[in-house]
Amino acid sequence: MGTRHQKLERHSIAFTLVILCVASLGGLFEIAPLFTIENTVEKVDGMRPYTPLELAGRDIYVREGCYACHSQMIRTLKSDVDRYGHYSLAAESMYDHPHQWGSKRTGPDLARVGGKYSDAWHVAHLRSPREVVAGSVMPGYRFLSDQRLNTDILPASLRANQRVGVPYSAEQIEHASEDARWQADPEAGFEDVLTGRYGDKINIRDFDGQPTRVTEMDALVAYLQVLGTLVDFATLDAEDAAR
Amino acid sequence: MTSEIDQASGQPTTGHEWDGIRELDTPVPRSMSLCMWVSIAASAVLWVLYPAFPFINDYTRGVLGYSSRTTVTQKVNQGNAARQAAFRIFADKTVTELAQIPDLKHRFGEAIGVLYRDNCSACHGRDLAGQANFPNLADAHWLWSGTPDDIELTLQHGINHSSEDTRYAEMPAFGRDGMLEKDEIAQAVEYVLSLSGSDHDTGLAEIGAGVFADSCAACHGDAGTGGLGNGAPSLADGAWIYGGSRDALHETLRHGRAGVMPGWANRLSPEEIRMLTLYVLWAGQDDKP
Repeated sequence: MGTRHQKLERHSIAFTLVILCVASLGGLFEIAPLFTIENTVEKVDGMRPYTPLELAGRDIYVREGCYACHSQMIRTLKSDVDRYGHYSLAAESMYDHPHQWGSKRTGPDLARVGGKYSDAWHVAHLRSPREVVAGSVMPGYRFLSDQRLNTDILPASLRANQRVGVPYSAEQIEHASEDARWQADPEAGFEDVLTGRYGDKINIRDFDGQPTRVTEMDALVAYLQVLGTLVDFATLDAEDAAR
Repeated sequence: MTSEIDQASGQPTTGHEWDGIRELDTPVPRSMSLCMWVSIAASAVLWVLYPAFPFINDYTRGVLGYSSRTTVTQKVNQGNAARQAAFRIFADKTVTELAQIPDLKHRFGEAIGVLYRDNCSACHGRDLAGQANFPNLADAHWLWSGTPDDIELTLQHGINHSSEDTRYAEMPAFGRDGMLEKDEIAQAVEYVLSLSGSDHDTGLAEIGAGVFADSCAACHGDAGTGGLGNGAPSLADGAWIYGGSRDALHETLRHGRAGVMPGWANRLSPEEIRMLTLYVLWAGQDDKP
Protein backbone atom coordinates (compact mmCIF):
# COMPACT_ATOMS: atom_id res chain seq x y z
CA MET A 1 0.00 0.00 0.00
CA GLY A 2 2.81 2.31 0.94
CA THR A 3 4.48 2.03 -2.43
CA ARG A 4 1.29 2.64 -4.45
CA HIS A 5 0.67 5.80 -2.50
CA GLN A 6 4.28 6.79 -3.00
CA LYS A 7 3.94 6.50 -6.75
CA LEU A 8 0.80 8.66 -6.74
CA GLU A 9 2.37 11.29 -4.52
CA ARG A 10 5.26 11.69 -6.88
CA HIS A 11 3.19 12.38 -10.00
CA SER A 12 1.93 15.86 -9.23
CA ILE A 13 -0.48 16.13 -12.19
CA ALA A 14 -2.04 12.74 -11.59
CA PHE A 15 -2.32 13.51 -7.88
CA THR A 16 -4.04 16.86 -8.59
CA LEU A 17 -6.50 15.15 -10.92
CA VAL A 18 -7.37 12.52 -8.32
CA ILE A 19 -7.89 15.21 -5.65
CA LEU A 20 -10.15 17.17 -8.04
CA CYS A 21 -12.12 14.05 -8.80
CA VAL A 22 -12.74 13.20 -5.14
CA ALA A 23 -13.56 16.80 -4.14
CA SER A 24 -16.02 17.20 -7.02
CA LEU A 25 -17.93 14.14 -5.79
CA GLY A 26 -18.76 16.08 -2.62
CA GLY A 27 -19.83 19.03 -4.74
CA LEU A 28 -21.98 16.83 -6.93
CA PHE A 29 -23.97 15.50 -4.00
CA GLU A 30 -24.53 18.98 -2.59
CA ILE A 31 -25.24 20.87 -5.78
CA ALA A 32 -27.00 18.45 -8.11
CA PRO A 33 -30.26 18.28 -6.05
CA LEU A 34 -30.57 22.08 -6.33
CA PHE A 35 -30.97 21.76 -10.09
CA THR A 36 -33.98 19.50 -9.64
CA ILE A 37 -35.71 21.66 -7.01
CA GLU A 38 -38.61 22.36 -9.38
CA ASN A 39 -39.32 18.68 -9.30
CA THR A 40 -38.92 18.38 -5.51
CA VAL A 41 -41.48 21.06 -4.65
CA GLU A 42 -45.04 19.73 -4.84
CA LYS A 43 -47.60 21.41 -7.10
CA VAL A 44 -50.18 22.84 -4.70
CA ASP A 45 -53.12 25.22 -4.81
CA GLY A 46 -53.30 28.21 -2.52
CA MET A 47 -49.66 29.07 -1.83
CA ARG A 48 -48.94 32.74 -2.36
CA PRO A 49 -46.02 34.99 -1.41
CA TYR A 50 -46.34 36.70 1.96
CA THR A 51 -48.15 40.03 2.05
CA PRO A 52 -45.89 42.96 2.98
CA LEU A 53 -47.24 42.97 6.57
CA GLU A 54 -46.66 39.22 6.93
CA LEU A 55 -43.19 39.56 5.43
CA ALA A 56 -42.39 42.30 7.94
CA GLY A 57 -43.63 39.98 10.66
CA ARG A 58 -41.41 37.23 9.33
CA ASP A 59 -38.42 39.57 9.50
CA ILE A 60 -39.28 40.28 13.16
CA TYR A 61 -39.60 36.53 13.77
CA VAL A 62 -36.09 36.09 12.38
CA ARG A 63 -34.74 39.18 14.15
CA GLU A 64 -35.95 37.99 17.55
CA GLY A 65 -34.56 34.51 16.92
CA CYS A 66 -37.88 32.69 17.34
CA TYR A 67 -36.44 29.84 15.26
CA ALA A 68 -34.06 29.04 18.11
CA CYS A 69 -36.93 27.57 20.12
CA HIS A 70 -39.73 27.00 17.59
CA SER A 71 -39.57 24.78 14.53
CA GLN A 72 -41.79 25.22 11.49
CA MET A 73 -41.56 21.69 10.19
CA ILE A 74 -44.13 19.02 10.95
CA ARG A 75 -42.11 15.89 10.34
CA THR A 76 -43.35 12.66 8.82
CA LEU A 77 -43.86 11.06 12.21
CA LYS A 78 -47.21 9.91 13.56
CA SER A 79 -46.73 11.83 16.82
CA ASP A 80 -46.02 15.02 14.90
CA VAL A 81 -48.98 14.66 12.54
CA ASP A 82 -51.34 13.76 15.41
CA ARG A 83 -50.35 16.82 17.35
CA TYR A 84 -49.73 19.49 14.73
CA GLY A 85 -51.64 18.42 11.61
CA HIS A 86 -50.65 17.46 8.06
CA TYR A 87 -46.89 17.06 7.62
CA SER A 88 -45.17 20.09 6.15
CA LEU A 89 -44.77 20.21 2.37
CA ALA A 90 -41.77 21.61 0.55
CA ALA A 91 -44.18 23.95 -1.23
CA GLU A 92 -45.10 25.55 2.08
CA SER A 93 -41.64 27.03 2.50
CA MET A 94 -40.91 27.77 -1.14
CA TYR A 95 -41.29 31.52 -0.56
CA ASP A 96 -39.21 31.49 2.64
CA HIS A 97 -35.72 32.93 2.27
CA PRO A 98 -34.32 31.49 4.42
CA HIS A 99 -36.77 28.82 5.57
CA GLN A 100 -37.61 28.68 9.28
CA TRP A 101 -37.70 24.88 9.67
CA GLY A 102 -35.53 25.05 12.78
CA SER A 103 -34.11 22.06 14.54
CA LYS A 104 -35.07 22.62 18.15
CA ARG A 105 -38.38 22.63 19.95
CA THR A 106 -38.15 24.33 23.30
CA GLY A 107 -41.61 25.61 22.38
CA PRO A 108 -44.13 23.92 20.10
CA ASP A 109 -43.90 23.69 16.31
CA LEU A 110 -45.53 26.69 14.64
CA ALA A 111 -45.93 25.42 11.08
CA ARG A 112 -49.75 25.35 11.42
CA VAL A 113 -50.36 27.74 14.28
CA GLY A 114 -52.30 30.11 11.98
CA GLY A 115 -55.95 30.40 13.08
CA LYS A 116 -55.52 28.20 16.13
CA TYR A 117 -55.67 31.09 18.59
CA SER A 118 -57.25 34.53 18.49
CA ASP A 119 -55.19 37.65 17.79
CA ALA A 120 -55.88 38.82 21.35
CA TRP A 121 -54.38 35.61 22.69
CA HIS A 122 -51.24 36.03 20.58
CA VAL A 123 -50.84 39.61 21.76
CA ALA A 124 -51.38 38.69 25.42
CA HIS A 125 -49.02 35.73 25.06
CA LEU A 126 -46.27 37.63 23.23
CA ARG A 127 -46.44 40.49 25.73
CA SER A 128 -46.30 38.28 28.78
CA PRO A 129 -46.25 34.52 28.11
CA ARG A 130 -46.72 33.38 31.70
CA GLU A 131 -49.93 35.34 32.07
CA VAL A 132 -51.69 32.96 29.70
CA VAL A 133 -49.51 29.85 29.81
CA ALA A 134 -48.43 28.91 33.31
CA GLY A 135 -44.89 27.58 33.48
CA SER A 136 -43.88 28.85 30.03
CA VAL A 137 -40.19 29.69 29.65
CA MET A 138 -40.71 32.00 26.68
CA PRO A 139 -39.40 35.55 27.09
CA GLY A 140 -41.87 38.44 26.85
CA TYR A 141 -41.90 40.74 23.81
CA ARG A 142 -43.91 43.61 25.29
CA PHE A 143 -41.98 46.20 23.30
CA LEU A 144 -43.40 44.95 20.00
CA SER A 145 -46.72 46.63 20.89
CA ASP A 146 -44.96 49.96 21.34
CA GLN A 147 -42.66 49.85 18.34
CA ARG A 148 -44.16 51.42 15.23
CA LEU A 149 -43.61 49.24 12.16
CA ASN A 150 -41.23 50.75 9.64
CA THR A 151 -43.26 50.32 6.46
CA ASP A 152 -40.91 52.45 4.33
CA ILE A 153 -38.45 49.62 3.85
CA LEU A 154 -41.08 47.15 2.64
CA PRO A 155 -40.78 47.80 -1.13
CA ALA A 156 -37.04 47.09 -0.85
CA SER A 157 -37.78 44.06 1.25
CA LEU A 158 -40.16 42.65 -1.38
CA ARG A 159 -37.67 43.46 -4.13
CA ALA A 160 -34.93 41.55 -2.31
CA ASN A 161 -37.22 38.54 -2.08
CA GLN A 162 -38.13 38.91 -5.75
CA ARG A 163 -34.43 38.74 -6.67
CA VAL A 164 -34.11 35.36 -4.99
CA GLY A 165 -37.14 33.98 -6.79
CA VAL A 166 -40.33 35.01 -4.97
CA PRO A 167 -42.81 36.02 -7.69
CA TYR A 168 -43.74 39.51 -6.47
CA SER A 169 -45.20 41.69 -9.20
CA ALA A 170 -44.05 45.25 -9.87
CA GLU A 171 -47.43 46.42 -8.58
CA GLN A 172 -47.08 44.51 -5.31
CA ILE A 173 -43.62 45.97 -4.77
CA GLU A 174 -44.71 49.50 -5.58
CA HIS A 175 -47.64 49.45 -3.12
CA ALA A 176 -45.97 47.41 -0.37
CA SER A 177 -45.94 50.18 2.23
CA GLU A 178 -49.62 51.09 2.01
CA ASP A 179 -50.66 47.44 1.63
CA ALA A 180 -49.04 46.74 5.00
CA ARG A 181 -50.87 49.63 6.65
CA TRP A 182 -54.21 48.67 5.07
CA GLN A 183 -53.97 45.03 6.11
CA ALA A 184 -53.73 46.12 9.75
CA ASP A 185 -56.65 48.53 9.43
CA PRO A 186 -60.03 47.02 8.47
CA GLU A 187 -61.58 50.50 8.73
CA ALA A 188 -59.40 51.73 5.87
CA GLY A 189 -61.70 49.98 3.41
CA PHE A 190 -59.14 48.64 0.96
CA GLU A 191 -60.16 45.02 1.33
CA ASP A 192 -60.86 44.68 -2.42
CA VAL A 193 -57.49 46.13 -3.36
CA LEU A 194 -55.69 43.74 -1.04
CA THR A 195 -57.61 40.64 -2.11
CA GLY A 196 -57.04 41.72 -5.71
CA ARG A 197 -53.31 41.74 -5.13
CA TYR A 198 -52.93 38.78 -2.76
CA GLY A 199 -56.03 36.61 -3.17
CA ASP A 200 -58.85 35.72 -0.80
CA LYS A 201 -56.73 34.12 1.88
CA ILE A 202 -55.66 37.31 3.54
CA ASN A 203 -56.52 38.35 7.08
CA ILE A 204 -57.40 42.02 7.21
CA ARG A 205 -57.67 42.90 10.87
CA ASP A 206 -56.36 45.16 13.57
CA PHE A 207 -54.11 42.43 14.89
CA ASP A 208 -52.66 44.13 17.97
CA GLY A 209 -55.81 45.77 19.37
CA GLN A 210 -54.45 49.29 18.78
CA PRO A 211 -56.57 50.59 15.90
CA THR A 212 -54.73 53.87 15.48
CA ARG A 213 -51.29 52.59 14.59
CA VAL A 214 -49.41 49.80 12.88
CA THR A 215 -46.90 48.21 15.21
CA GLU A 216 -44.40 45.39 14.99
CA MET A 217 -46.91 43.38 17.02
CA ASP A 218 -49.42 43.77 14.14
CA ALA A 219 -46.84 42.40 11.71
CA LEU A 220 -45.73 39.46 13.84
CA VAL A 221 -49.29 38.36 14.66
CA ALA A 222 -50.30 38.71 10.99
CA TYR A 223 -47.40 36.42 10.11
CA LEU A 224 -48.23 33.85 12.80
CA GLN A 225 -51.90 33.82 11.78
CA VAL A 226 -51.11 32.88 8.17
CA LEU A 227 -48.68 30.05 8.96
CA GLY A 228 -49.84 26.75 7.52
CA THR A 229 -53.20 28.08 6.36
CA LEU A 230 -52.51 28.65 2.67
CA VAL A 231 -52.26 25.24 1.01
CA ASP A 232 -55.57 23.75 -0.06
CA PHE A 233 -55.14 20.13 1.03
CA ALA A 234 -58.43 19.07 -0.54
CA THR A 235 -56.97 19.51 -4.03
CA LEU A 236 -53.55 18.10 -3.23
CA ASP A 237 -52.58 15.23 -5.49
CA ALA A 238 -51.98 12.18 -3.27
CA GLU A 239 -49.17 10.83 -5.46
CA ASP A 240 -47.42 14.19 -5.44
CA ALA A 241 -47.84 14.58 -1.68
CA ALA A 242 -46.53 11.08 -0.99
CA ARG A 243 -43.10 11.72 -2.49
CA MET B 1 14.68 7.32 -0.85
CA THR B 2 13.51 3.90 0.11
CA SER B 3 11.79 2.91 3.30
CA GLU B 4 14.02 1.30 5.80
CA ILE B 5 13.60 -0.17 9.25
CA ASP B 6 14.04 2.19 12.17
CA GLN B 7 16.60 0.81 14.55
CA ALA B 8 15.00 1.90 17.84
CA SER B 9 11.38 0.84 17.23
CA GLY B 10 11.83 -1.82 14.59
CA GLN B 11 9.13 -0.14 12.47
CA PRO B 12 9.53 0.85 8.81
CA THR B 13 9.95 4.53 7.99
CA THR B 14 8.28 6.47 5.20
CA GLY B 15 11.60 7.01 3.50
CA HIS B 16 11.35 10.80 3.72
CA GLU B 17 14.16 12.58 5.43
CA TRP B 18 14.31 16.21 6.59
CA ASP B 19 17.59 17.40 8.03
CA GLY B 20 18.31 13.91 9.27
CA ILE B 21 14.87 13.45 10.82
CA ARG B 22 12.91 10.50 9.51
CA GLU B 23 9.26 9.63 9.98
CA LEU B 24 7.85 6.28 11.08
CA ASP B 25 5.37 4.76 8.66
CA THR B 26 2.40 4.19 11.01
CA PRO B 27 -0.70 3.36 8.94
CA VAL B 28 -4.28 3.75 10.22
CA PRO B 29 -5.13 0.63 12.25
CA ARG B 30 -6.55 -2.15 10.14
CA SER B 31 -9.81 -2.20 12.14
CA MET B 32 -10.37 1.48 11.36
CA SER B 33 -9.75 1.20 7.66
CA LEU B 34 -11.98 -1.88 7.63
CA CYS B 35 -14.76 0.24 9.20
CA MET B 36 -14.37 2.75 6.41
CA TRP B 37 -14.68 0.15 3.67
CA VAL B 38 -17.69 -1.45 5.37
CA SER B 39 -19.39 1.96 5.62
CA ILE B 40 -18.79 2.61 1.95
CA ALA B 41 -20.20 -0.80 1.07
CA ALA B 42 -23.22 -0.25 3.35
CA SER B 43 -23.97 3.12 1.76
CA ALA B 44 -23.89 1.48 -1.65
CA VAL B 45 -26.42 -1.11 -0.47
CA LEU B 46 -28.66 1.57 1.09
CA TRP B 47 -28.43 3.54 -2.14
CA VAL B 48 -29.94 0.58 -3.94
CA LEU B 49 -32.60 -0.13 -1.30
CA TYR B 50 -33.84 3.38 -0.45
CA PRO B 51 -34.62 6.63 -2.30
CA ALA B 52 -31.25 8.27 -2.89
CA PHE B 53 -30.64 10.73 -5.67
CA PRO B 54 -32.75 13.14 -7.75
CA PHE B 55 -32.96 13.19 -11.52
CA ILE B 56 -34.58 15.80 -13.71
CA ASN B 57 -38.11 14.38 -13.55
CA ASP B 58 -37.89 11.75 -10.86
CA TYR B 59 -35.51 10.26 -8.35
CA THR B 60 -34.03 6.83 -7.61
CA ARG B 61 -36.86 5.24 -5.66
CA GLY B 62 -34.96 2.27 -4.30
CA VAL B 63 -35.80 -1.41 -4.48
CA LEU B 64 -37.87 -1.33 -1.26
CA GLY B 65 -40.08 1.49 -2.55
CA TYR B 66 -39.91 3.17 0.87
CA SER B 67 -41.43 6.63 1.35
CA SER B 68 -41.57 8.33 4.75
CA ARG B 69 -44.71 10.19 3.68
CA THR B 70 -46.57 7.03 2.64
CA THR B 71 -45.45 5.35 5.84
CA VAL B 72 -46.66 8.13 8.12
CA THR B 73 -49.95 8.37 6.22
CA GLN B 74 -50.52 4.66 6.81
CA LYS B 75 -49.69 4.98 10.51
CA VAL B 76 -51.93 7.99 10.94
CA ASN B 77 -54.77 6.21 9.14
CA GLN B 78 -54.33 3.18 11.38
CA GLY B 79 -54.41 5.45 14.43
CA ASN B 80 -57.53 7.18 13.14
CA ALA B 81 -59.23 3.85 12.53
CA ALA B 82 -58.42 2.73 16.07
CA ARG B 83 -59.72 6.02 17.43
CA GLN B 84 -62.86 5.76 15.32
CA ALA B 85 -63.54 2.34 16.77
CA ALA B 86 -62.88 3.46 20.35
CA PHE B 87 -64.92 6.65 20.03
CA ARG B 88 -67.61 5.33 17.69
CA ILE B 89 -70.39 6.49 19.99
CA PHE B 90 -69.45 10.13 19.28
CA ALA B 91 -69.89 9.60 15.55
CA ASP B 92 -73.20 7.78 15.82
CA LYS B 93 -75.15 10.06 18.12
CA THR B 94 -75.97 13.75 18.17
CA VAL B 95 -74.48 15.81 20.92
CA THR B 96 -77.88 16.20 22.58
CA GLU B 97 -78.28 12.42 22.74
CA LEU B 98 -74.73 12.05 24.05
CA ALA B 99 -75.40 14.53 26.83
CA GLN B 100 -78.11 12.18 28.17
CA ILE B 101 -75.71 9.26 28.64
CA PRO B 102 -74.64 9.21 32.28
CA ASP B 103 -71.37 7.23 32.24
CA LEU B 104 -69.67 8.95 29.26
CA LYS B 105 -67.74 11.29 31.50
CA HIS B 106 -66.38 8.41 33.50
CA ARG B 107 -65.41 6.49 30.36
CA PHE B 108 -63.98 9.22 28.16
CA GLY B 109 -63.35 12.23 30.41
CA GLU B 110 -59.65 11.62 30.74
CA ALA B 111 -59.08 11.07 27.01
CA ILE B 112 -61.06 14.19 26.10
CA GLY B 113 -59.02 16.12 28.67
CA VAL B 114 -55.94 15.58 26.49
CA LEU B 115 -57.78 16.99 23.48
CA TYR B 116 -58.95 19.95 25.55
CA ARG B 117 -55.45 20.74 26.82
CA ASP B 118 -53.97 20.53 23.32
CA ASN B 119 -56.46 22.92 21.79
CA CYS B 120 -58.47 24.93 24.32
CA SER B 121 -56.49 25.39 27.51
CA ALA B 122 -54.21 28.12 26.12
CA CYS B 123 -57.12 30.55 26.42
CA HIS B 124 -59.62 28.95 28.80
CA GLY B 125 -57.06 27.50 31.22
CA ARG B 126 -56.36 23.90 32.13
CA ASP B 127 -59.16 23.96 34.71
CA LEU B 128 -61.65 25.58 32.27
CA ALA B 129 -61.93 28.52 34.65
CA GLY B 130 -60.81 31.01 32.02
CA GLN B 131 -58.31 33.80 32.60
CA ALA B 132 -58.05 37.52 32.00
CA ASN B 133 -59.79 38.31 28.66
CA PHE B 134 -60.97 34.72 28.15
CA PRO B 135 -64.25 33.47 29.61
CA ASN B 136 -64.78 30.86 32.28
CA LEU B 137 -66.33 27.64 30.94
CA ALA B 138 -66.84 26.02 34.30
CA ASP B 139 -69.29 28.43 35.91
CA ALA B 140 -73.05 28.24 35.46
CA HIS B 141 -73.29 31.37 33.31
CA TRP B 142 -73.45 31.13 29.50
CA LEU B 143 -72.77 33.99 27.12
CA TRP B 144 -74.78 32.32 24.38
CA SER B 145 -76.56 29.25 25.61
CA GLY B 146 -75.71 26.15 27.55
CA THR B 147 -77.58 23.67 25.38
CA PRO B 148 -75.38 20.99 23.79
CA ASP B 149 -76.38 22.09 20.26
CA ASP B 150 -75.43 25.69 20.87
CA ILE B 151 -72.09 24.86 22.47
CA GLU B 152 -71.32 22.60 19.51
CA LEU B 153 -72.13 25.43 17.11
CA THR B 154 -69.79 27.78 18.98
CA LEU B 155 -67.01 25.20 18.82
CA GLN B 156 -67.55 24.64 15.10
CA HIS B 157 -67.74 28.22 13.94
CA GLY B 158 -66.32 30.28 16.77
CA ILE B 159 -67.20 33.77 17.85
CA ASN B 160 -66.31 36.82 15.75
CA HIS B 161 -64.33 34.42 13.56
CA SER B 162 -63.87 34.44 9.80
CA SER B 163 -66.24 31.46 9.38
CA GLU B 164 -69.51 32.39 7.67
CA ASP B 165 -71.69 30.87 10.39
CA THR B 166 -69.74 32.36 13.26
CA ARG B 167 -71.47 33.94 16.23
CA TYR B 168 -71.14 37.66 16.21
CA ALA B 169 -71.01 39.86 19.28
CA GLU B 170 -69.39 43.20 19.86
CA MET B 171 -69.44 45.56 22.78
CA PRO B 172 -69.45 48.94 21.03
CA ALA B 173 -66.74 51.51 21.72
CA PHE B 174 -69.15 53.98 23.36
CA GLY B 175 -66.40 56.46 24.16
CA ARG B 176 -64.17 56.26 21.11
CA ASP B 177 -67.07 56.32 18.68
CA GLY B 178 -68.77 59.22 20.49
CA MET B 179 -71.94 57.37 21.48
CA LEU B 180 -71.64 58.42 25.13
CA GLU B 181 -70.07 61.47 26.75
CA LYS B 182 -67.27 61.10 29.28
CA ASP B 183 -69.51 61.85 32.28
CA GLU B 184 -72.19 59.46 31.02
CA ILE B 185 -69.57 56.72 30.87
CA ALA B 186 -68.48 57.49 34.44
CA GLN B 187 -72.13 57.28 35.56
CA ALA B 188 -72.77 54.04 33.73
CA VAL B 189 -69.59 52.53 35.22
CA GLU B 190 -70.73 53.36 38.76
CA TYR B 191 -74.12 51.79 38.04
CA VAL B 192 -72.51 48.63 36.64
CA LEU B 193 -70.29 48.44 39.75
CA SER B 194 -73.42 48.65 41.89
CA LEU B 195 -75.01 45.70 40.08
CA SER B 196 -72.46 43.25 41.46
CA GLY B 197 -72.34 44.93 44.88
CA SER B 198 -68.85 46.43 44.32
CA ASP B 199 -67.83 49.73 45.91
CA HIS B 200 -69.45 52.57 43.98
CA ASP B 201 -70.56 56.17 44.10
CA THR B 202 -74.31 55.94 44.82
CA GLY B 203 -75.09 59.39 43.49
CA LEU B 204 -73.46 58.76 40.10
CA ALA B 205 -74.88 55.24 39.98
CA GLU B 206 -78.42 56.59 40.28
CA ILE B 207 -77.96 58.76 37.20
CA GLY B 208 -76.09 55.86 35.57
CA ALA B 209 -79.18 53.69 35.81
CA GLY B 210 -80.77 55.89 33.16
CA VAL B 211 -77.73 55.68 30.89
CA PHE B 212 -77.73 51.93 31.35
CA ALA B 213 -81.42 51.59 30.45
CA ASP B 214 -80.89 53.63 27.27
CA SER B 215 -77.59 52.22 26.02
CA CYS B 216 -76.78 48.91 27.70
CA ALA B 217 -79.98 47.09 28.68
CA ALA B 218 -80.81 46.03 25.12
CA CYS B 219 -77.95 43.51 25.19
CA HIS B 220 -77.24 42.98 28.89
CA GLY B 221 -80.91 42.86 30.00
CA ASP B 222 -82.88 45.33 32.09
CA ALA B 223 -81.35 43.98 35.28
CA GLY B 224 -77.89 43.60 33.75
CA THR B 225 -77.99 39.86 34.28
CA GLY B 226 -77.29 38.93 30.64
CA GLY B 227 -78.47 35.50 29.60
CA LEU B 228 -80.20 36.79 26.44
CA GLY B 229 -78.15 34.45 24.25
CA ASN B 230 -76.49 37.28 22.36
CA GLY B 231 -73.00 37.02 23.82
CA ALA B 232 -73.50 39.85 26.32
CA PRO B 233 -72.44 38.66 29.79
CA SER B 234 -74.14 39.12 33.12
CA LEU B 235 -72.80 42.20 34.89
CA ALA B 236 -74.33 41.26 38.21
CA ASP B 237 -72.71 37.93 39.07
CA GLY B 238 -69.31 39.27 40.13
CA ALA B 239 -67.53 37.28 37.40
CA TRP B 240 -65.69 39.34 34.79
CA ILE B 241 -64.06 38.49 31.49
CA TYR B 242 -62.16 41.76 31.05
CA GLY B 243 -61.92 42.73 34.70
CA GLY B 244 -64.42 44.34 37.06
CA SER B 245 -62.30 47.20 38.38
CA ARG B 246 -63.36 50.79 37.75
CA ASP B 247 -60.41 51.23 35.35
CA ALA B 248 -61.18 48.06 33.41
CA LEU B 249 -64.85 49.06 33.04
CA HIS B 250 -63.87 52.52 31.80
CA GLU B 251 -61.57 50.87 29.27
CA THR B 252 -64.37 48.54 28.13
CA LEU B 253 -66.91 51.33 27.70
CA ARG B 254 -64.45 53.62 25.97
CA HIS B 255 -62.88 51.19 23.50
CA GLY B 256 -65.38 48.32 23.35
CA ARG B 257 -64.67 44.60 23.35
CA ALA B 258 -65.04 41.94 20.70
CA GLY B 259 -63.42 38.73 21.87
CA VAL B 260 -62.60 36.18 19.20
CA MET B 261 -62.98 32.45 19.53
CA PRO B 262 -61.58 30.55 16.51
CA GLY B 263 -63.88 28.13 14.70
CA TRP B 264 -62.62 24.55 14.91
CA ALA B 265 -64.53 22.88 12.07
CA ASN B 266 -61.45 22.95 9.83
CA ARG B 267 -59.02 21.79 12.48
CA LEU B 268 -60.91 19.13 14.46
CA SER B 269 -63.18 16.29 13.35
CA PRO B 270 -66.95 16.42 14.08
CA GLU B 271 -66.44 13.67 16.67
CA GLU B 272 -63.72 15.65 18.41
CA ILE B 273 -65.91 18.74 18.49
CA ARG B 274 -68.72 16.69 20.06
CA MET B 275 -66.32 15.35 22.67
CA LEU B 276 -65.15 18.83 23.59
CA THR B 277 -68.76 20.06 23.72
CA LEU B 278 -69.50 17.43 26.33
CA TYR B 279 -66.31 18.26 28.21
CA VAL B 280 -67.44 21.87 28.51
CA LEU B 281 -70.95 20.77 29.52
CA TRP B 282 -69.61 18.50 32.24
CA ALA B 283 -67.48 21.28 33.70
CA GLY B 284 -70.52 23.54 33.91
CA GLN B 285 -72.57 20.82 35.57
CA ASP B 286 -70.00 20.28 38.30
CA ASP B 287 -70.36 23.87 39.31
CA LYS B 288 -74.12 23.70 39.78
CA PRO B 289 -75.39 23.08 43.28
